[in-house]
Amino acid sequence: MSPTPPASAPPDQSPRVRRVTRVIGVTAVVATACTVWLGLWVTPPDVTQGDLVRLVYIHPGVAWVALYLAFGLAAVASLLYLWPRTRSLFWDRLAAAAVEVGVVFNVCTLVSGSIWGKPTWGVWWAWDARLTSTAVLLVLFLGYLALRRVPAEPDVRAKRSAFVALFAAVDVPIVHFSVLWWRTLHQGATVLNPDLTPTIHGSMAWTLLLGFMALTLVFVWMLLVRYRIGVLEDWLGTGELDVALRERRAEGPAVDEDEAA
Amino acid sequence: MKYVIAGYVVVLAILFLYAMQLMWRRRRLLRAVARVEASPAGDAARIDADPTPDHR
Repeated sequence: MSPTPPASAPPDQSPRVRRVTRVIGVTAVVATACTVWLGLWVTPPDVTQGDLVRLVYIHPGVAWVALYLAFGLAAVASLLYLWPRTRSLFWDRLAAAAVEVGVVFNVCTLVSGSIWGKPTWGVWWAWDARLTSTAVLLVLFLGYLALRRVPAEPDVRAKRSAFVALFAAVDVPIVHFSVLWWRTLHQGATVLNPDLTPTIHGSMAWTLLLGFMALTLVFVWMLLVRYRIGVLEDWLGTGELDVALRERRAEGPAVDEDEAA
Repeated sequence: MKYVIAGYVVVLAILFLYAMQLMWRRRRLLRAVARVEASPAGDAARIDADPTPDHR
């Protein structure tokens, strides 16, 4: 008797989700291209920063995605996983997807900030409160991703990952308020300042807003694709186990289930 | 202006490479799922899912 493949196929994405993912992807590419065009060629140079202000159209956008969207979503999803009433591996997969994408955006934040810092401050890196807390955030969430690679039962892995995500997310408000709590080189918030009075206007403000929207769409597209990868990985993991068990049973005479366990 | 160009190139390159990697990973996993569903023994799926030198 030959063993059979796993009984159930992985939950397939509905055609509607697939279509929405594709539309978001195309819109993200177009919006990003428009941001680059406006940022590099259309908007005027700043009175004090000159052309370096053009980096501001992408740097706060990637930081917004990493800190607030990705790591914020990871914290909420982890909390919902730990809450007994809402416990589901859906939240665990969503948190894992958000963290992985967030780490990529966090790297973009540090790199773009560093490239802006060299001509502005004269150094690639300074042990400034904002920069240091952002780097710590990256290390914490890299630890989260490393922890997920430690072999364990899905529930055990999900639970300890959720705790680590919540612990790491404590650094997000520290990063946000670091420019207010400490004397830092990094400038204060341009849009989300305590008075909520943006200090940027005209075409510069619109380009900044478009940059935020474009990078948010990029994040949503990446999140959807990465979540799907998580579903497929989990299914293949259990599928493999099923096949191995069936093969073992097919090898010889019936094995006592308790003994096999 | 060279710093500005460098900033845009680096950020867009990182995002583009990650997006490509995501699509590649998804395609590889979909192929592995198709093999598990098609193969009775599931050997091919194990090779895909566990690409150790022994299996290669």
